[in-house]
Amino acid sequence: MKRLLGVFVNGLIVENPLFIIMIGLCSSMAVTTTVANGIGMGVALTFVLVMSELIISLFRNLIPESIRMPIFLIVIAAFTTIMDLEMQAYFPVLSKSMGVFIPLVVVNCIIMGRVEAYSSKQPVLDSIFDGLGMGLGYTWVLIALSVVRELLGNGTLLGFQIMPASFSPMIFFILPPGGFLVFSLWMAASNNLRRKMLAGKKPEPTQDSCCTLPENGSAEKA
Amino acid sequence: MKRWQMIKLGLILAVYTIVGCVGLAFVYNSTSKTIAQRQEADLQAGLQEVFPSATGFTPTDKVTSSNSTIVFDVAYTANGPSGSLGIAVKVHGPSYGGDTTLIVGVSTDGTITGVKVLENKDTPGLGANAANPKYYVDKATKTTFPGQFAGKKVTDAFVVKQDVIAITSATITSRSITNLVQAVAKAASDALGIAGSSPVSSSQSPSAVLPSADTIQPSSRVAVSSVPGVSILETSVGTKSGTIVGASAKAKAKCYDGDATVLVGVSTDGTITGVQILECTDSLGSPILAPEFAQQFVGKKADAPLEIGTNIEAVSGATFSSRGATALVKATADALVKVLAGGGL
Repeated sequence: MKRLLGVFVNGLIVENPLFIIMIGLCSSMAVTTTVANGIGMGVALTFVLVMSELIISLFRNLIPESIRMPIFLIVIAAFTTIMDLEMQAYFPVLSKSMGVFIPLVVVNCIIMGRVEAYSSKQPVLDSIFDGLGMGLGYTWVLIALSVVRELLGNGTLLGFQIMPASFSPMIFFILPPGGFLVFSLWMAASNNLRRKMLAGKKPEPTQDSCCTLPENGSAEKA
Repeated sequence: MKRWQMIKLGLILAVYTIVGCVGLAFVYNSTSKTIAQRQEADLQAGLQEVFPSATGFTPTDKVTSSNSTIVFDVAYTANGPSGSLGIAVKVHGPSYGGDTTLIVGVSTDGTITGVKVLENKDTPGLGANAANPKYYVDKATKTTFPGQFAGKKVTDAFVVKQDVIAITSATITSRSITNLVQAVAKAASDALGIAGSSPVSSSQSPSAVLPSADTIQPSSRVAVSSVPGVSILETSVGTKSGTIVGASAKAKAKCYDGDATVLVGVSTDGTITGVQILECTDSLGSPILAPEFAQQFVGKKADAPLEIGTNIEAVSGATFSSRGATALVKATADALVKVLAGGGL
């Protein structure tokens, strides 16, 4: 159990996909103009990530090495389409406001990266927790970004007016440059926290970096 | 052996694909009805919103779009207790982040009854505010961007930042929605047979571009432009107490992806006395209809080079249309100078 918790926390902070691995940045900048979109995108990606990791981990011994990429892509694309259809049917407002970014989950590097680096080699349960950790790690960063951007750029949170009427919205934060600025400030804060978290432990992080070394995860070490 | 390996891999890939497709087919089957119902409900709610007092809607095919980029998906006649109330059209056309879909209602008296944004894929927080019921372009009256069209006359200018308030930092979205609304307004008023849908008001008569003349009559000689593609529709001659003071012409030519029609007046000394951009069917060209743009030509010599960027300023966001219209004005003015020089008007 402790091992699974480690895998989960790994995605959340230690190897946060956006702040540490720094993949999947485009969509995170694009959708975080409102908190509702940030949450929606985070949940959508978490769903696709967990399901893809689950399926691929389940079939990991039946996927030939030489054609693993197309197979990963088929699985990811299938779950993205499923989620897109479900959202259109049951969350039409969210689906409309996120527009093209939902189909683009297919090419989100986080999913491909985790599937390739983790779940194609690890047991099912670990993969699910990795998907949850990475997905929620992505989600909390999106929420953190969008809270700042929506509050300062539009004066609202989740559509409710927060700032006093005299507050004039700073459009800059909704525009792409504001996204970069907010992102970098959050990244600095998060990495500071991470360094403190790891300070008490061995100087070498518990995790190898995601995409370069084949031996990955606290799973084996724990 | 190697070939066998390839076939095996292909088969494995096929199996995964088939399983994936079957799974998708099931999900599609279970959701497609709900999605269609939702879209239908959205459409009905939208129709009801633009015609609150209508008792029913009958599909009609009388309304047709004159612009190839603006597509009318479906049009309805709104039925009231005593006859037709007007026409509602579901329309889609290009915007900043993809197509935008609207429902536009036009009443039989030539006013827009309402505009509802069904789908908009523009930037969340900016262009997407077009569909946000809490985004007000006029905070004092709590008017939303589509809300401001309600009550507008179909003959209005529909120029963003003049008679249409733009969404902050989303001028392109504002313009494309405005264009869609205007396209429906025009087509619907044609279909309803509303007078003035192609407004020939006093501001369009040649006297507006030849202010010094007291009598204006059709010219016996028609001006012909030497520029290929420019067709001069009508030529008029302006006189003041019997003396010719100038001539005017209405001309049409291809602009960017549509046509532009202009009215140009030139005095006998070769000075442009007035210009009006009457029509521009370019997809994003409507901003050049603004009088400020046409005003720049007044007082310039017809034989002087008229160029965007040197002595004529383009309307931002419509550079190509500005360029096309400028060339048309220049060609028309040149033709008029020739006619005036030839005499015998």
